[in-house]
Amino acid sequence: MTGQVDKSRRDFLKAAAVAASTSAVSFVAVSRDELKKMLVPVNLSDFIAEAAEAGSPLERRAREREARLKEWCRAEADKICSSMGEDSDACREARKRCAMIKVKGTGPREGVRFAMALDVNKCIGCRRCAYACVMENNQGRNLGIEWIKVLEMPREEMEVIYANMDYTEAPKPNMVYVPVACMHCEDPPCTMVCPVRATWKEPDGIVVVDYDRCIGCRYCMTACPYGARRFNWAKPYVPVTELNPNMHILGNVPRQVHVVEKCTWCIQRTRDGGVPACVEVCPVGARVFGDLNDPDSPIRRVIEEYGAFVLKPEAGTRPRFFYFFGPKRTPPREPGAEAKE
Amino acid sequence: MSSQGSSFIDTIKFVIKEALLTGGPRYYLAALGLLIIALYGMYLWIFVQHAPIFLGAEEGGLILTALNDSVPWGIYISFFVFWVGVAAAGIVFGIAAYVFGDKEFKKVAVLGEVQAVAAIVTVLLLIVVDIGRPLRALVLMPQLPNLRSMLDWDFIVLTGYLALNLIGMLVTVHYYRQDKPIPRKFIVPFITIAAPFAIGIHTVTAFISQALTARPIWNSPLLAPRYVATAFASGPAILLLALYLAERYIKGFKVDFSVYRKTLYVIVGSLVVGLYFTLSEVHEIFWYTTEPAKKAQAQTLFLGYHLPYLAKLMWLWIGLGIAAVILGIVPRVHNTKRGIIFVSILTIIAVVAEKTMTIIIPGFIPSTLGEVKPYYPTAIEIGITIGVHAIGVLVYLLLARPALKAVMTHYFSGSGAKH
Ligand code: SF4
Ligand code: SF4
Repeated sequence: MTGQVDKSRRDFLKAAAVAASTSAVSFVAVSRDELKKMLVPVNLSDFIAEAAEAGSPLERRAREREARLKEWCRAEADKICSSMGEDSDACREARKRCAMIKVKGTGPREGVRFAMALDVNKCIGCRRCAYACVMENNQGRNLGIEWIKVLEMPREEMEVIYANMDYTEAPKPNMVYVPVACMHCEDPPCTMVCPVRATWKEPDGIVVVDYDRCIGCRYCMTACPYGARRFNWAKPYVPVTELNPNMHILGNVPRQVHVVEKCTWCIQRTRDGGVPACVEVCPVGARVFGDLNDPDSPIRRVIEEYGAFVLKPEAGTRPRFFYFFGPKRTPPREPGAEAKE
Repeated sequence: MSSQGSSFIDTIKFVIKEALLTGGPRYYLAALGLLIIALYGMYLWIFVQHAPIFLGAEEGGLILTALNDSVPWGIYISFFVFWVGVAAAGIVFGIAAYVFGDKEFKKVAVLGEVQAVAAIVTVLLLIVVDIGRPLRALVLMPQLPNLRSMLDWDFIVLTGYLALNLIGMLVTVHYYRQDKPIPRKFIVPFITIAAPFAIGIHTVTAFISQALTARPIWNSPLLAPRYVATAFASGPAILLLALYLAERYIKGFKVDFSVYRKTLYVIVGSLVVGLYFTLSEVHEIFWYTTEPAKKAQAQTLFLGYHLPYLAKLMWLWIGLGIAAVILGIVPRVHNTKRGIIFVSILTIIAVVAEKTMTIIIPGFIPSTLGEVKPYYPTAIEIGITIGVHAIGVLVYLLLARPALKAVMTHYFSGSGAKH
């Protein structure tokens, strides 16, 4: 009997020794830093507004990304310069943009709630917003990604399913043009379904995607009622001569392969007090952007003055992108134009 | 354990040894064939997926599939849905055996567990090949679960069910191998947990798509019940097929005809319910629905607008489903094993038609903005899907033989298993 007890005790001691040494070895083998690197993207504090403070994890990631991007950009620029000559325009442009690269981690400002509105009477369907968006947000040129889609709809019934987004001629008098991008919904289904919390709504109302966390399951694309999300089906390519150097870590930093992206209301501009590129570029001034909480903001004015509506209200997502019928169509419609069509 | 003469470790060793080391040339040939197909599928997947991520290459990526922003889920997720159903229905034999105490079913209940394990392995692999960043998913999912996301719940219940069935199978093998009955202390709690779990995995899988307001055709409260109903037709049908093959290829293994007969009841009953649900959905969509998107998607599904093969599959389900029901109640058919196997095969084809592309694809055509991008899976996608299935069948093959051998030690003592 005692012999048996002794044996089991010895067995136990042996097992303990083996376990201790394996854990010690594995602890040394997997260095703490390596472990940390694996676990970085999980810092929960990224979700909260404090990200604005310098030294926050988001800021840190932004700085790291900036260094890497500069390195990549310089290498690309060198390639261009060696093939086209040091004093070619392309080379100079590339070098200039590389030097200007800045990746920000700006957090939301207190008490701000962004919203956008679009005058359906003014929009002429020229798609300039979509092109400006591609340029501003470094969208992969090889993948044909466009965050803004412009739908052409019959004037009588603005039902999305009858829309046409492949029109070649605009404006037509019996049609309205309805640009659609992310609506930055108040109750976004896309963020609810994401299995790894790679996408969420910020306190200032911008729905963002963290490209370092997205696992590419495309569940959010399936859940979005506005088809606003785009997936990088291959490695996106942006020529450095066209790179927009003003970047935000949650916005227009060049994306990796197999992650989802979408409109961020130009987070890199609006968080610094600017307006999105599409608002700036619109030739007829159809777009209005501002802070819903500010009684003097243009967005409040148009909503109060004209009244607004949203697309697919039945989806129950409460979009913060409004449409309204403003005072008149630009350019002015000829009387009787409908009759001719 | 050790006082009983054999420990659990020995059982695992037994399973591994039986799976790998005993078997005739035909067995090895089959395993080798499956392995080659699986490896080829894996090679294709690495070609698609890993080239850009790990090797830093500029080419590759999911762009090689036919998926796009309009149709972001395709053939992988389609078959994912089907195999979740098959896994769920693996428990049918177990219920018959342990809930209703049917002695004949006890002999084959373990096969249901093996089937569930193999099906869940297939399911998990189908997710892995579908998502863009599998490694990142493995690291992030446990750290950042979003419990409002159905995908996380699905992952939890699927892995739970996989563990449950592996344990069930190993315990069964453990006791039968020593010619002991399974203790009630184990089997009662096991079946009480496993049976609702089986319904649960399929329900949660249906919930992934059911409540998305963006996809009106999925937006039917009947989706989850319909998943479960048709699963309980296809799962037992596959079980019967496996039983039939086991009887042919394992010497001395005999199954009572009552097993076939009673399982056929389950199949026919589930088919009737499934067809009835389809009818109910058709009625809602074509008689009263005023939602334009739902109507347009239903037209893609039933009338073949934009994508003719979808309608063909849908009508195949309805036609073969009805045929299987009618044949299943004809005495001349359900009185012979061959007749029952024929009905089973019809059922499997019908449910594959119903549960795969016809569930997933119409949700995307036309898409939320009315865009129509017909989806035809590319050769690479199909190859990867076949490769994944080869792994599933291989798992089935490897596990089924040791399990059946243990069963034979207990119930048919004396006869040895040869390939
Ligand atoms: S429009 Fe789509 S992507 Fe944007 S917040 Fe709403 S659901 Fe999400
Ligand atoms: S694709 Fe990315 S952002 Fe979208 S749900 Fe999946 S992990 Fe989240």
